[in-house]
Amino acid sequence: MTRSSDRNNFISLNPDPRTKFILIVLCIVAAAIAPALEYNLMIVAAVALFGMLLGRWRYALIGIGSYALIYALTGWAAADTEGTARGVLLAFFGLVHKVYPCGMMAALVVRTTKVSEFLAAMNRARVPKKIVIPIAVLLRYLPAIREDWFAINDAMRMRDVNPSLIGFLTKPVMTIQCIYVPLMMSASKAADELSIASLTRGIENPARRGSLVQVRPGIADIFCVCGFTALLVLGFVWR
Amino acid sequence: MKSESNRQEESLSVRDLITIGIFSALYFVFNMIGGTPFGINPVLTFYLPMGCALLCGPIYMLLIAKVHKRWAITILGILMGLILFATGMHWGMVVGSIVMGVLADFIAGIGRYRSRKLDILSYMIFSLGYTGTYVVYFLNRESWIGSMLDGGTEQAYIDTMNATAQPWMLPVILIGTAAVAGFSGWIGSVLLKRQFEKAGIVE
Repeated sequence: MTRSSDRNNFISLNPDPRTKFILIVLCIVAAAIAPALEYNLMIVAAVALFGMLLGRWRYALIGIGSYALIYALTGWAAADTEGTARGVLLAFFGLVHKVYPCGMMAALVVRTTKVSEFLAAMNRARVPKKIVIPIAVLLRYLPAIREDWFAINDAMRMRDVNPSLIGFLTKPVMTIQCIYVPLMMSASKAADELSIASLTRGIENPARRGSLVQVRPGIADIFCVCGFTALLVLGFVWR
Repeated sequence: MKSESNRQEESLSVRDLITIGIFSALYFVFNMIGGTPFGINPVLTFYLPMGCALLCGPIYMLLIAKVHKRWAITILGILMGLILFATGMHWGMVVGSIVMGVLADFIAGIGRYRSRKLDILSYMIFSLGYTGTYVVYFLNRESWIGSMLDGGTEQAYIDTMNATAQPWMLPVILIGTAAVAGFSGWIGSVLLKRQFEKAGIVE
């Protein structure tokens, strides 16, 4: 599927990965300068809106719902607690409010960016291979760890090793070995297999990489960036 | 296989880059598992770097054993820094992660990435990167706190904050993190000797 056919459908627009990175940076700056909690709520709402535009309704709704809960809890902590508890709680919520919008944005970007699009965009932005290849592999390998983990979990139960905290406390050496060894073995096997596969596909070709996926910023991208920039400007004015 | 000295001088191959990527993914996941119980707990949040350091030693040690070339650890540090940056962590952590990545790389490089003791030391240094936030926090506490409350900061709040975070906590965090990382790295080196060398995963 080419990008132009994607873009005709407004409900799931597919921005250029570079646009997404610009949005992440804007989001980080906005969260860093956030003058008030209401402003944080606005950032989260903007991220949720962006998620909906990408067609991730469920993610957007859960994201904004959990934030509303945290928001309410913060209001309660600021109003109804005292002394040390208040200090500790507010320090904690301060951290959450800084991290939450950016984390939500980053997770959204990781979920909606295909590795091929990412590589094509990084190539156009002329980021060195030494950074791009590990990042692409990292993003691609994260779901595989999850699968590995469930497989290992099953295997451990079959062999009477409890993979939870209790197992760790009663038989630490056994549990450590049973978790790390298979995970790391499969990781190093995957590294070997992936390198063979990518060498076969000509990753070491010194010529500039071409790509079937066309990544080009479009009008929707400009709108998204403008929207977040407006939010950022509002933050500075608010201050 | 080429001779040892030749391999040391070579720059990172695609295979190495892919290995770094995969182990960075594992490193990140174990970091999250170790760090989250500390991060979400208001009382323990200062000890987050220890939680992060606790689980990642074996992964770090195997990465060095598999790649042992310059810049591998630096790239790991940069990747972790990028993830931390993208998730909106405090910039102290991001800068710390990258700077300590370079430093850890050079320390492991002294032993040509093959001395287990220096590798463990390098992991201890690497783990200290995450304490960057707390160093910044203790150096400039008021501005940190001020950004959290709406506009003005109450005096009472600063007082409680000062009571919660005593100055002695900074050395405790630094030394504690290094100690936990040393322990984790040691476990890693034991696993490496007992399991991975036997299985032929590393030579």
